[in-house]
Amino acid sequence: MDTRREDVGITIRSALLAKGTKKRFYLFSLTILSVIFIYLETIETKPLNYLRSFIKDTIYRGSVVVSAPPKAISNLTNYFISYINLKDSYNELKKENDLLKNNISKSDYLELENSQLRKLIQEQVESSSDFASARVMLDKQSPYNNSFIINIGSNKNIKNGMAVLNGENFIGRIVDVNFFSSRVLLVSDLNSKIPVLTEPSAYHSILSGHGPNKPTLEFLPENHSIQDGDKVYTSGKEGIFSPGIPIGETKIDNGVVKVLLFSDLSQVSFVNVKLNELNLDSEK
Amino acid sequence: MAFFYKQIKFRFFELLPIFLLFFISFNGNSVIDLRFFSINIHYILVYYWVLRQPNSMTYGFVFLSGIISDVVYGFPLGVNSLSLLAIAAAASYVRVVTVRITLLNDWISFIPALLIANFIYFLTLYFSDYSLSYLDLFKDSIFTVIFYPVLWGIFSLMLNFMRS
Repeated sequence: MDTRREDVGITIRSALLAKGTKKRFYLFSLTILSVIFIYLETIETKPLNYLRSFIKDTIYRGSVVVSAPPKAISNLTNYFISYINLKDSYNELKKENDLLKNNISKSDYLELENSQLRKLIQEQVESSSDFASARVMLDKQSPYNNSFIINIGSNKNIKNGMAVLNGENFIGRIVDVNFFSSRVLLVSDLNSKIPVLTEPSAYHSILSGHGPNKPTLEFLPENHSIQDGDKVYTSGKEGIFSPGIPIGETKIDNGVVKVLLFSDLSQVSFVNVKLNELNLDSEK
Repeated sequence: MAFFYKQIKFRFFELLPIFLLFFISFNGNSVIDLRFFSINIHYILVYYWVLRQPNSMTYGFVFLSGIISDVVYGFPLGVNSLSLLAIAAAASYVRVVTVRITLLNDWISFIPALLIANFIYFLTLYFSDYSLSYLDLFKDSIFTVIFYPVLWGIFSLMLNFMRS
């Protein structure tokens, strides 16, 4: 029994450690280094943040360069596919155009009515929000993580927690800011929890991401009366996001309230980052 | 001239695993996400080359590629490098204890290596407060094992080129 144990010990040593004096403890020290890196991620200090920002920015730039050829091939393939489907999409667009023309007059009327009602309740209309526009630099979808990198960071006063919009629709928030880049955690990510409000049912709840599946509304009252098609907006309850940013509409599936997002997260190329008041003050 | 050409060819095939390693790290292809399943080619690549041609895949490169993957995917720095180093350590151990090179040997020994690596991966993300879909991780592990022979074949072909 002892001999066997010795054999295993010798094998492990020869496999992992004994590779000449230079490589001795190489694997072991790299493992320790990895653990130190993981530990350092939990520490927030200025020098460490600078170092992290520098490493991340450099790797993102490298990733953009390395991803360029596969992206070009993918774009070319998509171009040919869209060319083949040209006739179908033409017919579809024509139908859509007719529908939109019909809706324009209706929308004008609703806008007018909305402004009149706002005046009636004397709502203090918000001053036009400040946005910072950004381009999606890297969009690496993984089964475990739904996020992307945008090309602005602390150089444009971006801060953690800011709301990210596609057009006028909320799609995520900033979770990591570097000098020239930031990471956007999409609402579909498992780690994303956003306080929301449903309309017209007026329930406060938490929009929770589920990876490739649709996000759902959690912490709703048991006997809620949410119906298919109810609109979901940010509630502004945690004080970071402005209230009333549209997110999507509800769809009830086997008792679970799912949210169909207004924006297609796989097709986002440009985004607006909503700079909050705190940020504006610091700018002044 | 023929010698020079042979040297270039040799260097090319010798560096190919490293190119591949960094390409998939930078390009974020560590986990290929197909419609119903995903395969972790990063693990297979590291395991195969550390097992069969350790000179082409040193631990330092494995560590660096893990760090790059962490940044690209937005995980805390060190998570992927730790699990990749676990895979490399398991491969080193298997290299020492095995005598005959067969697909079956490699395949079976890959299973505990993958389990250890995924356990470390899960544990580090858990302690870093990152939610992870266990089902996705499980599916990813199953299909990575299933697809191992396919990549084993491709890498063996590369290795043969390198040795010829």
